[in-house]
Amino acid sequence: MKLIEKHLKGLSWLSLVLILAVTALLLIQIRQNTRMETNLDEYMPKTHPAFVYSDQAEEWFNIKDGILIAIENPQGIYNQQTLLKIREISEGLMQMDEFEEIDIQSLYTADNITGSDDGLEVEAFYGAVPGHPDEIEALRHKVRENDMIAGRLVSADETVALVVAGMNSSHFTEDLYHDLLEFAHSFASETENIYVAGRPIVEGTMGHLGPADMKRMVPIVLAVIALVLYLLLRSVRAAASVMLTVFVSTVWAFGLMAIIDVPVYAVSTMIPVMLIAIGVAYGIYFFQYLSNFNHDTPEVKLIDALKKVTIKLSKPLFMAAFTTIIGFISLLTSQVLPIKYFGLFTAFGIFVTFVLALWLLPAMVIIWGCRVRSTKTERRSAPFWNASKITHRLLNYKKSIYITVAIIAIFSVLGLTQVWINSSFLANFENESDIVLTDRFVNSKFGGTSTLNVILESGESDMFKNPAALRLMDEMQLAAEELPVVGNSFSLSDYLKRMNKVMNADKNEFYTIPETSDMVAQYLLLYEMSGDPENLLKVINYDYNRTNITFQLKGDDSKTINQALSVIRQFEEPFRDMGVSVNYAGSGYKALVFTDLILDGQVRSILMSLLLVLVLLTIMFRSLRAGLIGSVPILLTALISFGVMGLFDIPLSTTTALLSSIAIGIGIDYAIHFLQHYRMNLSTEVSRLEAVKKTMAQTGKAISFNAIVVIAGFLVLLFSVFPPNRTLGALVSMNMFTSFAGTLTLMMVLVYRFRVFAGKQGSPEIQENK
Amino acid sequence: MKTKVKISGMFAIVLMMAFAPADAQMTGQQIMEKVYNNPSGDDMQGELVMTLVNSRGEQRVRNLKQFMKNDGKSEKKIMFFMAPADVRNTSFMNWSYADGRDDDQWIYLPALKRTKRISSDGKSDYFMGSDFTYDDLGDRHPDEDNHKLLREETIGGEACYVVESTPKSGGYMYSKTITWVMKESYLGLKREFYDQKGNLLKTLSIKKFEKISGIWTILETEMHNVQKSHKTLMNFSDVRYNKGIPDSQFTERSMTLGI
Repeated sequence: MKLIEKHLKGLSWLSLVLILAVTALLLIQIRQNTRMETNLDEYMPKTHPAFVYSDQAEEWFNIKDGILIAIENPQGIYNQQTLLKIREISEGLMQMDEFEEIDIQSLYTADNITGSDDGLEVEAFYGAVPGHPDEIEALRHKVRENDMIAGRLVSADETVALVVAGMNSSHFTEDLYHDLLEFAHSFASETENIYVAGRPIVEGTMGHLGPADMKRMVPIVLAVIALVLYLLLRSVRAAASVMLTVFVSTVWAFGLMAIIDVPVYAVSTMIPVMLIAIGVAYGIYFFQYLSNFNHDTPEVKLIDALKKVTIKLSKPLFMAAFTTIIGFISLLTSQVLPIKYFGLFTAFGIFVTFVLALWLLPAMVIIWGCRVRSTKTERRSAPFWNASKITHRLLNYKKSIYITVAIIAIFSVLGLTQVWINSSFLANFENESDIVLTDRFVNSKFGGTSTLNVILESGESDMFKNPAALRLMDEMQLAAEELPVVGNSFSLSDYLKRMNKVMNADKNEFYTIPETSDMVAQYLLLYEMSGDPENLLKVINYDYNRTNITFQLKGDDSKTINQALSVIRQFEEPFRDMGVSVNYAGSGYKALVFTDLILDGQVRSILMSLLLVLVLLTIMFRSLRAGLIGSVPILLTALISFGVMGLFDIPLSTTTALLSSIAIGIGIDYAIHFLQHYRMNLSTEVSRLEAVKKTMAQTGKAISFNAIVVIAGFLVLLFSVFPPNRTLGALVSMNMFTSFAGTLTLMMVLVYRFRVFAGKQGSPEIQENK
Repeated sequence: MKTKVKISGMFAIVLMMAFAPADAQMTGQQIMEKVYNNPSGDDMQGELVMTLVNSRGEQRVRNLKQFMKNDGKSEKKIMFFMAPADVRNTSFMNWSYADGRDDDQWIYLPALKRTKRISSDGKSDYFMGSDFTYDDLGDRHPDEDNHKLLREETIGGEACYVVESTPKSGGYMYSKTITWVMKESYLGLKREFYDQKGNLLKTLSIKKFEKISGIWTILETEMHNVQKSHKTLMNFSDVRYNKGIPDSQFTERSMTLGI
């Protein structure tokens, strides 16, 4: 016996060293191989038809996201200095490797199509910066006359000019982001303000603000969790051991990611959140079991106690871990790659946490000893938890509990119907932040900072030389532009109307689609010969049977895009009658489809998880009743989570959607521990009431400790400067609370009321008035 | 001001004549002068099929008939579109002047039944959506560049001089060009164009050339923009020289008459 004990100590050290060594190796791997994936295109399923089409269309028409540099001069832009700056900004961007000349649009690079009685000219608005007031006035006049420029590159009030640099968001890097901001702001002066907006900028800012904020907040979160853990467990060693398992499991999960070369996605930040919640729970169970065991049988030696506790704990822990892992594995059905990976690596992390709880924690106790033995200390540590009294209260007020839960559920269902998904990136920023203000400013002066591309296609070549098709296109544009959210639009029809007008002595009545297809063809040829034919390729293909219409929108959120789409979709049918199909493209549209996929996938995965949990609980406890009642806290947590999001207008996003998985993971845990204990206690205690009281004393305490620790930790995120992280903190805390409250109130009452495990043995009923 | 439109220049590449036998001691400058001085006849007419091919292999094909005349002071040129049908009989006329005046250009659109003068400011200088800029088609004077004979090399069975030309002053859209000049004919067989960042932008290659009426004539040429994976093929046929085309062929009135 002594020999084994001696060995046990050695084995424990060996285990610790081994685990730490593996952890260290993985840390090195993480250092060397981990890469962040900030390119949102990588998040989207490559094979989904909408994405395949959009990517294709982007290539066809050189559709890119625009970085918008706005130069504002409250005195007006028509002066030598500002005009020179517009030129310098345009030329400076052209010099950058990331941009091609054709992708830079500004007053300086734009073509001015003008006409006179006997001629047509396509020329630059200016080359050398005009100095003479008359020349400047002439330039102002030229811009005012040209609808293709006025209001698009120069604001209607003539105080702001825009330089648009098209680029693929996928080429956007943090370095470029900083270079661009520095470059743009170097043009600011006392008379001129510079604003930088556009989707790549928003994505770029988000890409670095979110993780940077997390880096700041996570240590504080961990510190608070460690502190609260210590306060509850009253042992530095126990708290430190639990924190070690959390740390090790997180490192292993990310280490595995680094080894098999999976990048870290934005949603991957949810993995540690999950592992903290689960790791803390397992650790608390372990030390609670140990302390209870010591309390009941103080004479048993530590080693034996550890053995007993480990064996006793292994079953509920295995069941809890197994169900949670299955729940996360179910995320592999998602079409969204980062969510698949999130499921996979969280599952792995939970497995590690489970193993560590039964291996590392006992080893740490052997090495370090254990102080959470004294029953007196334990009593003092949790004076609030008088299980017996609380149980009585709850059982007495079960009607109130039912009613309260029913009311909450009704509100949640109401909220649920309000849940919306937001594909907006801008929504992630503070209302008064620079990026939002800039966006609002540019939107107020120009067509819009966001774009939606509508692609028309026909099997018949030369379809878009046909005036009927062009007129319908024009009608669609005008109808959409009626919406306040649609600033303007741009297509082949704008070129043709402009050409028709200037070729007819600049008469406004000719600002229409030309009468015949020959005329259209000849105008296009004329433009190619005198203008920049590459510009035409952004709107029409070689066979004239595929065309691109760009709508500029005032916002990048789903509501705005859907509003525009609802008008545009009314034209799908008349176009179909002509043999023209209507499709959509661009990053805004992709984001919209993407969020739909997330919601769809999330709803499916939650329903699947619920079903799985029900089946697993039923099998584990060999009781459908246990399965049904055990699923209640999870259902309640998920319902309230979504309900609150709906009621408080928190849109679903990739991260908030995943919170429901955490709710399920934690919910299962609580339910299984409670049910497992209750079943054991039923066999040892004299009545169901005593059994439920004892369960409340043991498991209830562990559950409440767990909830308190995690809630305290995540409430820290409320002080984050990045709004999505604040939402995350609030929702995780809320989910923990609902799981905890749901298990210990409603589920407990239901377990008692519906005689789970008790069958028809007829244990004595609780006396209502006791 | 940028070099103006020079449709006539197309024939500077197209029509180049064998001049002198190879001379190992020639400098880059001398070689390029010989290329420049290849005579091209007093007038010329022919048919041209211009095919644009984009990176997806989609094609845009245009058939034209063209006439050109050079009297030493000005070069006049007129082109009629024959296909596609919806632009048939659209015509384009260009007069360029030896004294450096801006070119005059007209276009006649049959659907509008009107002749219009057009002008392009040279910034947007690709010819009809092709990979040829007006500059590429123009006959750039050898004195505008510094030339360096890099090496001699045989490509496609033709012994060539390889000459690098770097512009003496700014304002040219290329940072340099490298030309493979055939020793036998002083005809450029291949030319590489480098962009302002020093990267290869385009490659011009001559696929077929022949001596017609004693004049070396390029019949098939391809310009490949390697950065955009876009190609322009020009095929010339029915080329005839010195047929005594009258001046009246190059008027606004004749533009409206069609082919």
